[in-house]
Amino acid sequence: MRLLNKITLNLLSISLFIFLFGMVAFYYVLREQVDQNINLELEKRKKSITKELDSAHSTTNPTVNLSEKVLITLLNKPRPLISFSDTLIFNPDENKYAIYRQLGFVKVIGDQSYFIQIFKPLEETDRLIVRIVMMMNLLIIIIIITLLIANRHSSRQDWKVFYDSIDKINNYDVNSFEAFSLKHSDIKEFADLNRVLLTMTERIKNDYLNLKEYIENASHEIQTPLAIINSKMELLLQWGDMKEKQYKIVADAYEASNRLSRLNKTLILLAKIENRQFPESNPVNPAIMINHQLESLEDLILSKKIKITKRFDDEVTILINPYLAEILLVNLIKNAIRHNITGGDLILELSKNRFEIANSGPPLQMDPEMLFKRFHKASTSPESLGLGLAIVQKICTLYGYKIGYSYKNEMHVMHVDFK
Amino acid sequence: MKILIVEDEKALSDSMVEYLDEEGHNCEAIYNYFDAIDKIGLYQYDCIVVDINLPDGNGLDLIRFIKKKSILMGVIIISALNSLENRIEGLEIGADNYLTKPFHLAELNAHLKSINRRVSYGGSNQIIMNEIKLIPDEHKAFVNDQEITLTKKEYELLLFFISNKNKVITKSGLAEYLWGDYMDLADSYDFIYTHIKNLRRKLLKEGCEDYIKTIYGLGYKFESN
Repeated sequence: MRLLNKITLNLLSISLFIFLFGMVAFYYVLREQVDQNINLELEKRKKSITKELDSAHSTTNPTVNLSEKVLITLLNKPRPLISFSDTLIFNPDENKYAIYRQLGFVKVIGDQSYFIQIFKPLEETDRLIVRIVMMMNLLIIIIIITLLIANRHSSRQDWKVFYDSIDKINNYDVNSFEAFSLKHSDIKEFADLNRVLLTMTERIKNDYLNLKEYIENASHEIQTPLAIINSKMELLLQWGDMKEKQYKIVADAYEASNRLSRLNKTLILLAKIENRQFPESNPVNPAIMINHQLESLEDLILSKKIKITKRFDDEVTILINPYLAEILLVNLIKNAIRHNITGGDLILELSKNRFEIANSGPPLQMDPEMLFKRFHKASTSPESLGLGLAIVQKICTLYGYKIGYSYKNEMHVMHVDFK
Repeated sequence: MKILIVEDEKALSDSMVEYLDEEGHNCEAIYNYFDAIDKIGLYQYDCIVVDINLPDGNGLDLIRFIKKKSILMGVIIISALNSLENRIEGLEIGADNYLTKPFHLAELNAHLKSINRRVSYGGSNQIIMNEIKLIPDEHKAFVNDQEITLTKKEYELLLFFISNKNKVITKSGLAEYLWGDYMDLADSYDFIYTHIKNLRRKLLKEGCEDYIKTIYGLGYKFESN
């Protein structure tokens, strides 16, 4: 159904319902008003009848209720045959003028013409009209408000799908492995929009996957030629009869091709993490793993005279791929050692939901956001690939961990929240 | 040691043969799966170095064949595939090592030496090089029969040097041997420098000759005659 039709139909059905309801309500309210009005009139008649009865034996002329009074006058000159008009008549009972509607007509009795006037008080009716108008206004206001609320509510239902789609597109991640689906809508425009969005995301995803596959294949294919280059250079380096200048050239080329190999291996690893090719998770005790890593980096820690403080909850286990857990921890620890100062502190804290690693060092010269960017290097060292923290972040994203950086007490603090 | 190298990339295969022959091994290069099966059936080898992706078969099947026939030989896998599953599968079916391409010839050599020790002496041997003696099972090192205390990395370093003596060992080769892949090697070179400095100091203290030569800008060489 088209959006416009849907809105019209909604409005129509809501108004129909409200008006039906309003009509019934209006009937009863009106009825009540009319009853009140008649009651009032009856009260008045009761009063006048009592008065009449009271005055029946007295000498004074009885006051006649004008509404029952028929004024008959002998007609001398010709008069209009019939006429309706308003008139003011003094009511001695209430001691005030009251407005009356009168009908005057001519009746011929015998050969005499009589002009007959009958009256009906307008006061009560007037009051009734005012009340009805007020009542109607109130009812209309109620109807409009109800209509507005009902319409808003039903519109919101219709637009929900639209907002849902917007939200999903906003959070769309081409890397996500969850199937991208949108809510079904019976409104044509929204259904069309969703269809277009689905085909679009599908296409983007396919393109992306193709590109990724291409890069992966390329990376793998590069490994073998790199292996050949490296092995040949290694052989060349074993030749004893090279001049120092020649050595230098081969050494530089060898270093470069080694860097390329490492870079390639790391990029393949990153791609694999993204592709979730490390599916099996096992309970891992980070404390044991960290201690093991610290042991293997012991010499370096000693040479930099770094003071280690450990606050571990040894019971903590996390469910993670052990290989990735190791990569995650090694990179964080190495990072904290690398950027530490001689004689600095290295504080490691492990609790149920959090791992925190802090190292002494001067404040960052750059935006902390940049830390996790690929190929962003803090040092100018050519051996650094600038991928360590990118890998850390990828692993965290994979498992839904939150990683953050802060600088306090002259220490760089990296923390990973497991939950 | 007699080594069969099954690798379809001839250039890479040649490099391995050359490096390992110089180390005194007897290498034979085969470029496909079926030739390898034939060779294994006909001759006796101490070790096989096998690539997983062969033009006419899978290197893992070759290992399964060896294990099924209960042929006793060391197995080293070299592969461009670097997934954990491949690695685990390879080691599970009986490979001794798994090297991902590109690898360092020195590293391959070190692994072969360790296999050689196991094959030849049942692994309980000692490595003696002049005044240095290593007992691999116990991770112990002696100089002039005087035990020296080495850290784990220092011990590994010394073993690697002795396995590749008289060869130029590059810093990156050392770094990868000691810490594996996926290390951002930014200051691994400093690490190595520290390790070597300490190792040298400990060796010299016990009257060991200074074998470790620095080759400027490139790496090190463990020189002994």
